[in-house]
Amino acid sequence: MNGGSPKVLVDDVTVHFDGALALDHLSLEIGRSEFVSIVGPSGSGKSTLFNVVSGLQRPSSGRVLLDGRDITGETGHVGYMLQKDLLIPWRTVVGNIVLGAALTRGVRGRDREEAAALASRYGLGEFLDHYPHALSGGMRQRVALMRTLALDTDVLLLDEPFGALDSQTRLDMQLWLLSVYEDLEVTILFVTHDVDEAILLADRVTVMSGRPGRILADLPIPLPRPRDLDVLTSPAFVELKRQVLGLLHHTPAAAAAR
Amino acid sequence: MNAFLRKTAVRLAMAALAVGLIFGVWNLVIFAFDLKAYALPTPQDSVATIYDRWSTYQPLMLQTIKETVYGFLIGAAIGFCLGVAMAASKIVQRLVYPALITSQAVPVVAIAAPLAILLGFGLATKLVIVALWVFFPVVVNVLDGLARVDRDLLNLARVMGAKRTRAFFAIQLPATLSPLFSGLKIGATYAVTAAVIGEWVASLPYGLGTYLNTAAASLDARGVWGATILLTMIGITLFLVVTAVGVVATPWERRSTARRGIRSLFINKQKGARRWFGSLPAGSRSESQSRPR
Repeated sequence: MNGGSPKVLVDDVTVHFDGALALDHLSLEIGRSEFVSIVGPSGSGKSTLFNVVSGLQRPSSGRVLLDGRDITGETGHVGYMLQKDLLIPWRTVVGNIVLGAALTRGVRGRDREEAAALASRYGLGEFLDHYPHALSGGMRQRVALMRTLALDTDVLLLDEPFGALDSQTRLDMQLWLLSVYEDLEVTILFVTHDVDEAILLADRVTVMSGRPGRILADLPIPLPRPRDLDVLTSPAFVELKRQVLGLLHHTPAAAAAR
Repeated sequence: MNAFLRKTAVRLAMAALAVGLIFGVWNLVIFAFDLKAYALPTPQDSVATIYDRWSTYQPLMLQTIKETVYGFLIGAAIGFCLGVAMAASKIVQRLVYPALITSQAVPVVAIAAPLAILLGFGLATKLVIVALWVFFPVVVNVLDGLARVDRDLLNLARVMGAKRTRAFFAIQLPATLSPLFSGLKIGATYAVTAAVIGEWVASLPYGLGTYLNTAAASLDARGVWGATILLTMIGITLFLVVTAVGVVATPWERRSTARRGIRSLFINKQKGARRWFGSLPAGSRSESQSRPR
């Protein structure tokens, strides 16, 4: 963590769904410009946690603070991206990137310029006027991420954004996200099932338990940045992966790490 | 552009071939069953009749076109508004849907005459009959299009801080366009039939439907077939016009890029780059890392 007040503070959040407990007194602190990966078994409430932070779901108790301000149950403060790209078919690449502005204050020329610059910078310069259906799955996810970046917010919630891509494209996208993150001052919360992905990208990996969702462990990832492909085969990476897998599957290594 | 012209030429040739085929079968039937001209004239004769009686046909045709187009537009507008209202409110939907189904289950031919008693023998009756026929496929398709908008997309709009009205105009309304035009195409083919039935019960002022009635009563086969060909052409033209408007209104369905608008000419990437990369030294490491695919 970078010290000072946390960028996002999830404070003792509990969520009940029809009597079932989805999140159980969960607290989480994310520092300014920190990249936190969240891993956990299916049904551990990772998506529920995102819905709470984004304001879609009001928690049964607890609160969410952004820069120290209470935003519990309020939307419009953070960016959100899902496994589905959710691009709008009748909007071009630039049109999709500026969607946030179109939905709130109206699109200005500057928004389009910034969108075009962002797309050009990250390999979509020739596709500014393309409709989503003309793009590959990887390109569509890039556009979806740029749309999230272009919002007037610097906190991004990414919910398995690369889960639907083939492994080759996924690795490319991970490296690409690393470069984006290292360029820009953004805070990222990243949900994934893929332990390699979690470690490769993050400053910290948070492991959640099965239902009800609790935090089992919070593992710092001290791998130096900028990171590249070689990180994946380094001894430090393999050791971290052993620890995370142990935590997820409750082996002795897990107990040791705790 | 050359490829486009060639494709268009091939399509037109195919359409002409299709018409030729219909005329060929028509002639074959006359030949095979040895039909006399007073029973079934040849297509050539029928088309010739249109030329011969053009001064009779022309005003009738304009009248029928007027009924067809106005009725179609009224039906489409009502259908669209109903579809949107029903999608916006579950209560409206539960109230209106049974009425909709009823309106389609009632045989229009059966209520055409009572409608004429109610609304008179003028334009109003015919417009109501055409609109009654056209609005249904439009409602159903618009409703379907709105129901198919991804809930996650609407949630995403909420997360982005969108007001409901903004989200409606930016996401839901445009999503109705493609299904709307599917409904309009079906409606366009119904509209002429409806106009003819309207004219059978409400005959003033005269149209091609009225003419069909009197021509058939006097066993004027050539006149009937001439009018029928004209009515068919009205239907086909309306369908083609609707299709063409649909193509222009939903460019993303067949184009991979937007037509370059005036707006995109003013996009200055360099200026926009400042927000994102203002503090970066030129040629920083991400240049080599981001690999376009």
